[in-house]
Amino acid sequence: MHNIFLIAKREYFEQIRGRAFRISTILVPLLIACLIGANYFAAARMGAGKHIAIAAADARLAEDVRQRLLDDKDAKLTVDVVTPASEADQAALLGKIKAKELDGVLTIGEAVDGAPALTYASESSADLVNTRWLKTAVKLGLAEGRLRAGGMSADQVNGLLENVKIEPLHLGKDGKTAKSEGMSPVYKANVLLILIIIPITLYGMDMARAIVEEKSSRIFEVMLSVARPIDLLTGKLLGVGAVGLTQVAIWGLAMTIFLGSTLAASVMTGDFAVHISVAEVALLPVYFLLAFFLYSALFSGLGATCETAQDLQMYVPLIIVPMYLSMAALAVCMNSPGSPWAIAASLFPLTAGFVMVPRMGLETVPLWQIAASIAIMLLSIWGTMWFSSRLYRVGILMYGKRATLPEIWRWLRYS
Amino acid sequence: MPVVSLEGITKAYEDKVAVNNLSFSIEPGQMFGLLGPNGSGKTSSIRMMIGMTYPDAGTVRLFDRPVARESLNHVGYLPEERGLYKKMKVLDQLVFMGCLHGLATAESEKRAVAWAKRMEISAALDKKTQELSKGMQQKIQFIAALMHDPELIIMDEPFSGLDPVNATLLQDTLLELKAQGKAILFSTHRMDQVEKLCDSICLINRGQALLKGNLREIKSRYERNRVIVEFEGSAAFLESAEVAEAKNYSGHAEIKLKPQGDAQKLLREAAAGAKIYRFELVEPSLEEIFIETVGGRADA
Repeated sequence: MHNIFLIAKREYFEQIRGRAFRISTILVPLLIACLIGANYFAAARMGAGKHIAIAAADARLAEDVRQRLLDDKDAKLTVDVVTPASEADQAALLGKIKAKELDGVLTIGEAVDGAPALTYASESSADLVNTRWLKTAVKLGLAEGRLRAGGMSADQVNGLLENVKIEPLHLGKDGKTAKSEGMSPVYKANVLLILIIIPITLYGMDMARAIVEEKSSRIFEVMLSVARPIDLLTGKLLGVGAVGLTQVAIWGLAMTIFLGSTLAASVMTGDFAVHISVAEVALLPVYFLLAFFLYSALFSGLGATCETAQDLQMYVPLIIVPMYLSMAALAVCMNSPGSPWAIAASLFPLTAGFVMVPRMGLETVPLWQIAASIAIMLLSIWGTMWFSSRLYRVGILMYGKRATLPEIWRWLRYS
Repeated sequence: MPVVSLEGITKAYEDKVAVNNLSFSIEPGQMFGLLGPNGSGKTSSIRMMIGMTYPDAGTVRLFDRPVARESLNHVGYLPEERGLYKKMKVLDQLVFMGCLHGLATAESEKRAVAWAKRMEISAALDKKTQELSKGMQQKIQFIAALMHDPELIIMDEPFSGLDPVNATLLQDTLLELKAQGKAILFSTHRMDQVEKLCDSICLINRGQALLKGNLREIKSRYERNRVIVEFEGSAAFLESAEVAEAKNYSGHAEIKLKPQGDAQKLLREAAAGAKIYRFELVEPSLEEIFIETVGGRADA
């Protein structure tokens, strides 16, 4: 234990004093904020504020579609109507797109078998947002025309076609419903995932790189003459884990200070109104450490089998891929947090550390699942540490060439 | 009681037998040379002595007990290549190594400072290892191996990268430690140093001991058929019928006589054409024994 503590202490202070720690502590939250801001901005503004023209044979339909488009306040569109539009008119409108006077032209043809032929021309081949808006507007315009033709008044038509709003309610385990927090849990889940995944990737990679470097400088030959490989590995993991935890704690503290500020009160509303439960606060460091130890032990084993940084780079995706699969698993959790897939991702050791805490923000996770996932992760860490410390012991002494899979298997059998 | 003893140890990696039925022991106050060409099994033997790997067969006893982790606090190990944290300050590094060997932090720091003074590197204590020369790093590694006052000192090529002044400093330190009763194992290719410092040797090749025992005894087994001549004048005597091989370094010649070669006759021939300052009949050097023994086995 004495040596584990000494090794952990050395790792901790060497990393904390390093420039990489200071830079990543500041840059990672900035990047997350930029990423969320950019996504939100892009989603809110995408396709908005455009100037389009409707070229149609049916003037009434064109006017109805225009009105529907203008009713969408988020779209902020400017809509011109040209009816009836001859081929020359249509060509002239397309020319205006070229001249940047228009963003797009919606052509509504003659209705054949009830549905008119529609085209939308713009300079972007993937103008999907506009296409979606236009499709809805034309559908509503057509329905409006038909309902009117059927004898309904304008008010009746509007009442019928008015947008239906659904208020999302969250059903708790106690059977009571509460107003859903909208997109807020989704944003929170993504932030939590990034908060866990980035330090683990950074420090895990750092650990593997350090082992490759230290292997080539023979530090471990000296260290192994003093300490057991498992002590070396455990000390290193504890030290670097404490560094990661320090970083997450700094971010947590910064976030708490920010959430208490007047600036946060003005920004963190609606979808950004974040509510963090006590359980999430308590379990975030637990799952962070569990995932950290598991992945770092894997990274260490990988480092022990590689001879150079280039070798390491080649094999890193083997570990990174399951880590980033958690992002896909989280997407499943967001749609149905209680589904078998979400439960499996919360129990599977390679994804549990990333998925469980974000999932807790989406639903009340049963206690047995939390206990089982912690137990499975602890067992996996023990197994990985055993595996990696054997690779570590033999791998760091076998220098000169890259290990092949059969060799790694044989290393595990060496004493 | 030997400090370390290897009894019939064997270690194989795949099809390659690294060490094959090797036995020797080192007593307190003994300077022991473990010699052998590259890949002969020296490092594999050392790693088994310090519990880094275990033998497939045979036993290693450290301080009269099977190798145990606690015993390693009484062993100082200097590896062939530097094993230091490059970005760590020298003093922090030495204190860390001392603590790993069981010293308290304050004691470790006190000893590190004292050793740095003795090794004339006090000015480097506050620097990062990567800022220092190879020779300086070697001295730090040397201190790290000794500051916990080990009973067994294992030195793998300790003089590599050192200039003659620093090599002498280390050599004198080791001789002092030997006088204090420490057991020292040298693993090296530098036969001149082994010859100067070691009492006993074990020469291994392909994992097997070819020669072992007291150095004087080993050398005495060989015929005194080497002649060192310092002269001025004609070198024609180097072509004599008594000479098997000769190397002439302008006024200093090293001669190997033929099996029945007559040294007295050679002296007369030399004196006939040159002024002789030194004519000494010597036993073969350790280097010659090494080449002859290892070369002979390699040819076999």
